[in-house]
Amino acid sequence: MNNTISTDLIRGHTDAIILNVLRQGDSYGYEIYKKIIKLSGNQYELKEATLYTAFRRLEKDGYLVSYWGDETQGGRRKYYRITEEGRKNYEESKQAWNFAKVVLDKLIQGGLENAKD
Amino acid sequence: MPKISDHLDKKVNAYIDNLFSGVGPTQQLYDLKEELATNIKEKIADYIARGMDEEQAYKEAIISMGDLSGLVDDMRKLGQDAARQTVYSTMAARISTAGIVAGSLLILFGIFTALMLYFMSEDNLSVLGNGVFVIAGSALLTYSVLTRETSRKYAMNKIRAGLYALSVGVILFSFFTSAASWFATGEMYVSVASLMVFFLAGFGLLLYLVLTESDRRKI
Repeated sequence: MNNTISTDLIRGHTDAIILNVLRQGDSYGYEIYKKIIKLSGNQYELKEATLYTAFRRLEKDGYLVSYWGDETQGGRRKYYRITEEGRKNYEESKQAWNFAKVVLDKLIQGGLENAKD
Repeated sequence: MPKISDHLDKKVNAYIDNLFSGVGPTQQLYDLKEELATNIKEKIADYIARGMDEEQAYKEAIISMGDLSGLVDDMRKLGQDAARQTVYSTMAARISTAGIVAGSLLILFGIFTALMLYFMSEDNLSVLGNGVFVIAGSALLTYSVLTRETSRKYAMNKIRAGLYALSVGVILFSFFTSAASWFATGEMYVSVASLMVFFLAGFGLLLYLVLTESDRRKI
């Protein structure tokens, strides 16, 4: 992971990233962490400290619910499941991102000579 | 779930206990500690499976968690709120209990002295004078019962409970003045006139409070 994404850049998107993992199935802390690394193609690691803080916030907002697994060996795992509210929020974030990424790309890389009025 | 050695297991638990040491106990804290411990242990087991030795796996796992101080702060705030909540509710419960006891005693005191004076003399006014104890006691009892939190109902807010106590007091006072003026003048119309003033005020207030009542039931 040589190329890093600045925390400023990722901060506004952690919730959408977590919701993207959970809309594809229930999961627990460490597994979500690994799935995010996998999603990035081993390019990015979201710190677990950030994850747990986000879980608490998302659960409070009603986007996630949690339940304990029934593992007998070792500790119990706390699983998270996305709610309907969470799915709605994810769709909104996705749309906002699709709009933003196009505009931001123009703003950061665009040349003024071929810009349309 | 992969197993790690008892030694490492204890070490992780100790690390987490230490991380959250001095944080007020709440259900959320208990849950978060278990959640973190399970996930860290699983991560260590993964590192060991990839060929790291125990010590190194432990260190790497802890470092890679990132900065947990934000979570510790969140838990500390929750713990403080919980502590304040219990202190507050036991204080409020004690005040309410004291009020119920004192109110009941005042009412009984008023009734007993009135009885005593009634059998001692024929003076109706001095018997009636003890009515003030009954009035004060009833108002205090009303306030204390309403501000008491029970397993099924939340406590009423203090101002509202105070207004209820006032209306009960004023209504009882209206009977008191009515009886007093009747004994003093022997005229029934004077008695009704003095009853009317305070009774209407007290009853009006009570009616307003009852009609604007909100549901205090829990859940």
